[in-house]
Amino acid sequence: MSSASLVSFDYLKLTPVLAPALGALLVLLLDAIASRLRRLHFTVGVLAMLAGAATALPGALLPGSGRSLSLCLPAPVGACLWSAGPVASALQLGALGSTLTVLLLLWPGHASRLPALRGGPAVTVALLLSATAGACAVAAARDLGSWLVAIELATLPVVVLVALRGSDRAGAGALSLLTTSLVSFALLVVGAALWLVATGDATFAATSASTAWSHPETRAVLVLAALFLLAGLGFKLSLVPFHTWTPQAYAGSSEPVAALLAATSKIAALAALLVVLEPLTRLGGGPSATSVRLVIAAIAALSMTLGNVLALRQEDPVRLLAWSTVAQAGWVLLPLAALIPQALGASAGYVLAYAMATLLAFAVVTVHTGRALTAYRGLFRLHPLLAGLLAFALVSLAGLPPGILGLVAKIVALRPVVDDGLWWLALVAVANAVLGIAVYLRWVAVLFGDPATDATPRIARSSLAALLLVASALVATSAAPQLLLGLLG
Amino acid sequence: MVLILALILPGAVGLWLLGAGRQLSHRQSSMLATAASALTLVMVLVGVATRPVVNAPWVPALGLRWHLAVDGISAPLLLLTAAIGVLVVLHSGRRPPSGGASSIFHGALLLVELGALGTFLVRDAVLFFVSFELVLLPMWVLITRFGDAHDSQARTDAGGRFLLYTALGSTLMLVGILLLVHDAGTADLDQLAVRAGSGIRHQVLIAVLLVVGLGIKVPVFPLHTWLPPAHTIAPTAGSVLLAAVLLKMGTYGLVRLPVAAVPAGFTVVAPFLAVAGVAGIIWGGLICLVERDLKRLIAYSSVAHMGFVAIGLASGSRTGLQAALFANVAHGIVSALLFFVVGGLKERWGRVDLGVAHDALREVAPRLGFALLLGLAASLGLPGLVGFWGEFFTLYAAWSPHPDRSTALFRAVAVAAALGAVLSAGYALRVARLVWSGDRPDVVDAQPVTHTPEMAGTERAVVLTLVVGALALGVLPGPLLAMTSGAVDALVGGR
Repeated sequence: MSSASLVSFDYLKLTPVLAPALGALLVLLLDAIASRLRRLHFTVGVLAMLAGAATALPGALLPGSGRSLSLCLPAPVGACLWSAGPVASALQLGALGSTLTVLLLLWPGHASRLPALRGGPAVTVALLLSATAGACAVAAARDLGSWLVAIELATLPVVVLVALRGSDRAGAGALSLLTTSLVSFALLVVGAALWLVATGDATFAATSASTAWSHPETRAVLVLAALFLLAGLGFKLSLVPFHTWTPQAYAGSSEPVAALLAATSKIAALAALLVVLEPLTRLGGGPSATSVRLVIAAIAALSMTLGNVLALRQEDPVRLLAWSTVAQAGWVLLPLAALIPQALGASAGYVLAYAMATLLAFAVVTVHTGRALTAYRGLFRLHPLLAGLLAFALVSLAGLPPGILGLVAKIVALRPVVDDGLWWLALVAVANAVLGIAVYLRWVAVLFGDPATDATPRIARSSLAALLLVASALVATSAAPQLLLGLLG
Repeated sequence: MVLILALILPGAVGLWLLGAGRQLSHRQSSMLATAASALTLVMVLVGVATRPVVNAPWVPALGLRWHLAVDGISAPLLLLTAAIGVLVVLHSGRRPPSGGASSIFHGALLLVELGALGTFLVRDAVLFFVSFELVLLPMWVLITRFGDAHDSQARTDAGGRFLLYTALGSTLMLVGILLLVHDAGTADLDQLAVRAGSGIRHQVLIAVLLVVGLGIKVPVFPLHTWLPPAHTIAPTAGSVLLAAVLLKMGTYGLVRLPVAAVPAGFTVVAPFLAVAGVAGIIWGGLICLVERDLKRLIAYSSVAHMGFVAIGLASGSRTGLQAALFANVAHGIVSALLFFVVGGLKERWGRVDLGVAHDALREVAPRLGFALLLGLAASLGLPGLVGFWGEFFTLYAAWSPHPDRSTALFRAVAVAAALGAVLSAGYALRVARLVWSGDRPDVVDAQPVTHTPEMAGTERAVVLTLVVGALALGVLPGPLLAMTSGAVDALVGGR
């Protein structure tokens, strides 16, 4: 019998997934052996993130057409089931970096004012690492089966993390998140099945997609498949009309878990969407492509507008950030309405910029623990560093200097839309850029003024490390946006 | 190198003042800001004299380059901005600002100066948009935190309206720039000017987007509604910067983007711009005849002056462009002078309501009264002062526009604008009557205002500098016209 396996493994290239997955197993093992050492679990988690990031970086530095390949089928099929280009590797880096920040925010310590999540540190770290492993896997998955498993692996642990806070609101939030995940998984499975029917190929390959496109019957099925997959992923990206779980889940969970939902989950969902849309960007035009583009454009426009309008009315900072996530999801989807190859990198760049800024804002909210906007009044006098970081994050989300990265991200997102001639969508984006400024500057205005109390928030060392990590990434990429955009090939 | 230093200096000092300068007293932050702005002025002078060029990559993925240069069109505006920067910091040094820390106030002033200098120096269309946006946040802080102390709701409204309207304008401009860059294949302003629109498919759409977006900033009637509240509520330094620096960024953008890069599309939009300009002149003049708040009156007169600039740009001829650029600088000097004087009056009197009886300025504070009178005379276009040449050349250019334009329409516009100039004489004399000679106002309110100390020290030096500038350029417009003529010829070419 031949000793060759079905696929060829290149383990080094798979490390972005293997490191978090093995880390999760190691943490559970350590918990069985030495359950008193809480910080050891978190240290293992941090090391796993760093190991994954170190191996994802070479993939991000490849040129635009380069691919990091693994899990390749033998000839004559030769297709590789793991294919990570620069965009996918950059998204993997983003997912690993954001989970690293969340780990630092959840770090157990004496000065930490957060009550620990139920189940203990081992469960928390294991769930975080599994979700990240799923996020990294879905970015590079090429076959339908792995893709579906990976996207669910990225979603379900987060549901548990929301529920582990233990309060009633957390339970309600986790329930809404769970039902949403189940519905979205059903849609994804149907979409994947339709893709298989249309192309006859169980992978997201460009060649089989274009073959399916050239025949009218299979083209209709392929379009239907794309729409189902978009709907399923729309739940995870918090797009309108799939967004209703977002404010409840964010408000119910603890702030670091809300940060995880806002950053890692969104990166994972976009990575999954880019895997689906990449073959479709190489097809020709025609009315079928126009229908897909129109649906994407409509969803993007609705998300931006509804998210901004409702964020203007929020008094709870976490709910404000939740609705801002809905609006920013619209911006993330905006370049994909053009369905051209450059749009994939533009969308990925925007989600990474948004993730950094939102993480910084959530980190400040975690440290400050104020759940009303008025609690932040006069923060510039009380704690200039914290207020400065929050203002920088909000200004980056709004897209105004000194948040240069947010400004560049908006330019990057608008360019494919303008290049493709979607004037009405560009005008909607312009109006929403202005609305977004109103949303975020409403909070920045509160930071000035006289503080109501004299209580200065105390920052634990791990939370300070998280703040400085994200802040320095945001400042560095604002001064030199090429650091981020160059990773996207 | 000089250009980079001229940008880094106000930026670094401004950021430091904003961040770490809380412990500084008012005198210390004022001295630091004065030193920074004076050094920046020196470097701008050197830069205008030597005309260096900087060209380095910044974001290759977007095609963004740090391309900085000085030419005839931007040189006068650079000098004006740097000079106004020094004057504003000197004028604010007299007393601590109300509403917040002095270091934040001076930091915001320096950052606005940085944004304006950056706008006039950059030679890349997308970088132009970035530096255009740079001034928004510091100016918003100046208006909402340090503005009129009486009414905090009015401050929030005025600041919010300024920020959102101007952001809408610049984002529309961004869409136009992105379309222009996509069609032309380059974002470099020099190359776009050389191409002059050849090979660009969507010229009319680009011109419409750019003119509407920049028209909000200029401001062109009817997109001007953000300006009166912002000018009125802002502190003196903020009003001067708004009028003398920020509005110039809008007209400079109109010259660099639609006029230079898409001239054929601009030809289509020009008649609308001219009509909007003259509507602004008449509308501003009519409101000024009845407006009671003096600061708001000066703000509306700014709208009227920018109407003249708009007409000059719309006419499309060489004279028109020269006239627009001259009127730009003229309005910068005159509005700065008027806002300094009226701001000084507001500090003395608490409010500048023309319905309240005042001491006659010519009796109690003759030098301040003379400065006010000179500013009003320059504003109405009296010959011998700088305002005259801008209005005169604009009317001349509107009377004989470029052959591409409709002569009948532009002649009608010229006649209406001349009538608007008469209106400006009307309101200028109204203000002089009520404030300078102390006539009883039509509506007598509460108690008459007394206690008007004369100008002294720094305030006198600042106002005197602007008076001398208005006189010098009014009597000798030659050097300024010579500075811009080379670049204008290159832009308008043989047309």
